[in-house]
Amino acid sequence: MTESLILSPPTLDCTGLTTREINQQLKKLAAAGADTVDLLNPQGRHNLAVAIEAPLKVRIRGPVGYYCGGLSEGVDIEVDGPCGWSVGENLMAGRILVKGNASACAAASAHGGTVCILGSAGPRAGISLKGGTLIVQGNVGHSSAFMMQAGTFIICGDAGHSLGDSLYDGTIYVGGEIASLGADAQLAPMTDEDNALLEQQLSPYGLATQDYAFKKIVCAKQLYHFKAQDFSKFKDAY
Amino acid sequence: MDDPILHTSSTFNPQVIAAIQERAELGRYMIRGFGAFRNVPRLDDLVFLTASMTRLPLEGYREKCDTRTVLGTRFAKRPMELEIPITVAGMSFGALSKNAKVALGQAATWLGTSTTTGDGGMLPAERDASAKLVYQCLPSRYGFNPKDLKKADAIEIVIGQGAKPGGGGLLMGQKVNAVVAGMRTLPEGVDQRSPSRHPDWIGPDDLRIKIEELREATDWEIPIYIKMGATRVKDDVKLAVKAGADVIVLDGMEGGTAATQSIFQEHSGIPTLPALVQAVEALKEIGVYGEVQLVISGGIRSGPDVAKALALGADAVSIGTSALIAMGCNKPVYIEDYQALGTEPYHCHHCHTGRCPVGITTQDEDLMARLPIEEASTHVANYLQSMVMEAQSLARSCGKSSVHNLEREDLVALTLEASAMAKLPLAGTDFILGQS
Repeated sequence: MTESLILSPPTLDCTGLTTREINQQLKKLAAAGADTVDLLNPQGRHNLAVAIEAPLKVRIRGPVGYYCGGLSEGVDIEVDGPCGWSVGENLMAGRILVKGNASACAAASAHGGTVCILGSAGPRAGISLKGGTLIVQGNVGHSSAFMMQAGTFIICGDAGHSLGDSLYDGTIYVGGEIASLGADAQLAPMTDEDNALLEQQLSPYGLATQDYAFKKIVCAKQLYHFKAQDFSKFKDAY
Repeated sequence: MDDPILHTSSTFNPQVIAAIQERAELGRYMIRGFGAFRNVPRLDDLVFLTASMTRLPLEGYREKCDTRTVLGTRFAKRPMELEIPITVAGMSFGALSKNAKVALGQAATWLGTSTTTGDGGMLPAERDASAKLVYQCLPSRYGFNPKDLKKADAIEIVIGQGAKPGGGGLLMGQKVNAVVAGMRTLPEGVDQRSPSRHPDWIGPDDLRIKIEELREATDWEIPIYIKMGATRVKDDVKLAVKAGADVIVLDGMEGGTAATQSIFQEHSGIPTLPALVQAVEALKEIGVYGEVQLVISGGIRSGPDVAKALALGADAVSIGTSALIAMGCNKPVYIEDYQALGTEPYHCHHCHTGRCPVGITTQDEDLMARLPIEEASTHVANYLQSMVMEAQSLARSCGKSSVHNLEREDLVALTLEASAMAKLPLAGTDFILGQS
């Protein structure tokens, strides 16, 4: 990366560059104090904007593959298109906004920050979530929030089967229909605090809480410790 | 009156009877630590054909026998350069006490080798104590942090382990204290059931992309190991190589664990001996033997085990249980505390309870105080040193100026099982079971 490119409009055309070159250039731009960069022609490439530890805003103009923004801390990514598996995987802090659909395992094991998907997400969204916030404006597939440990997962649309199976903690909100709850997930009453939190989380994305009839799902804590009498609970749990 | 002659059923022996009655009380599978109890064909069943007339030995105490070992030469800019071919395997802070973790790091550092984090993240004190630290990326991702990743000297993606291939671990609530719960983002005191599958990828084609992600995150500097429990070794090794591993770490069924279902330990996976042989064959079949290094683990206890593993084609071995034993696991001290657990020294496998009498597999401050770091480090370092010297002695007696020059031709088998599994001739014959 030359200095002239930092001074010129921050645009990076992925055409002809390897993923490694793209990420190296992003890291150099971040280190040089750039605040925004436009990534052109991503062409569904995997591992874009991985492990960036800076408040760099990366606007990706097109579809991306697996692990977009994975292992990052503090980055602000916008994807103008759909994304592949595990967007925002192990995100520590920052924000990833996907303006299309996301494939499986969105925000897998994220520890912090916010992943917001304005389309729908595939199966296992929010799997192993350890903190932060995952927002999906559309629907999510089966086994979402599987083994979720902490954080907030807001689904404005419908949730597939086995939502929240074997979750330890954290809160899930669903605005649409739930195909089925997984083992140890249970409905809980919505409170004013929940509505305030939803409002606070959704309004930045132009989403209005009152457009949805949110339900709240939390851990029933029945799988925390084994009980010999609960035969089916342990046999049928994941 | 004479004692009556007792008749014992082989099918329903006392241990089987006790196990049935224990499950009748519990209503679940049994959980314990340590690893497989059953006897399996092992490296002990091989012997060296040391030098005589056809070969010249090297002088045992004078002539050089190199032990330097390099892992991760395939893609990484900074391969793992070790002084000895023995590494310390991944064991979690949580399963192990802080003192135990720090002592393992300290001992490994003294010997110029690496130690490994575990399920539960990187302990700062462990990083400080370990000159070379392998950072595990496990299915649970407990405490997985890109900042720690960037401090690592290698990454080990854990697909499984020999004690429970295909199964997840368990950390019983009594060990999930505030510190452990905080590091793992879990409710304090919960029975933690570790997942057996990674959350963000499924299958080797995805893993290839995952590996690229980890390399991007670490600027392609450090090696990436893939650790697997030994089951369908040949195919698994080939797929791991295809996925982009620099190093294969293969854990046989003798490998240990702090807690999992005893059925996994006794009834799944294959022993270390045949696993090693199959892994070497797999690497050779796809033409990457030497390019992708092989670390073998699971029941490695002695210099002869190390030397035999290297002769069969491993680049290094990794130890877990034996390092803990060197530290004092199952030592005949605090005997009343062993008895309170319903066991005795030499028989204890109660790691899962968190009441380790010698302070190794516990989070209890009082018990942990029984394991002073300096003493524990010294014992592990002495033990590592003794194993290296033993392996060198055997290598010199075979005429080898490097432990890595030991070869299959230096070994024969003592049993038919070992002959078949190692594909080596039965001692004193030209007969290889299954080949001849």
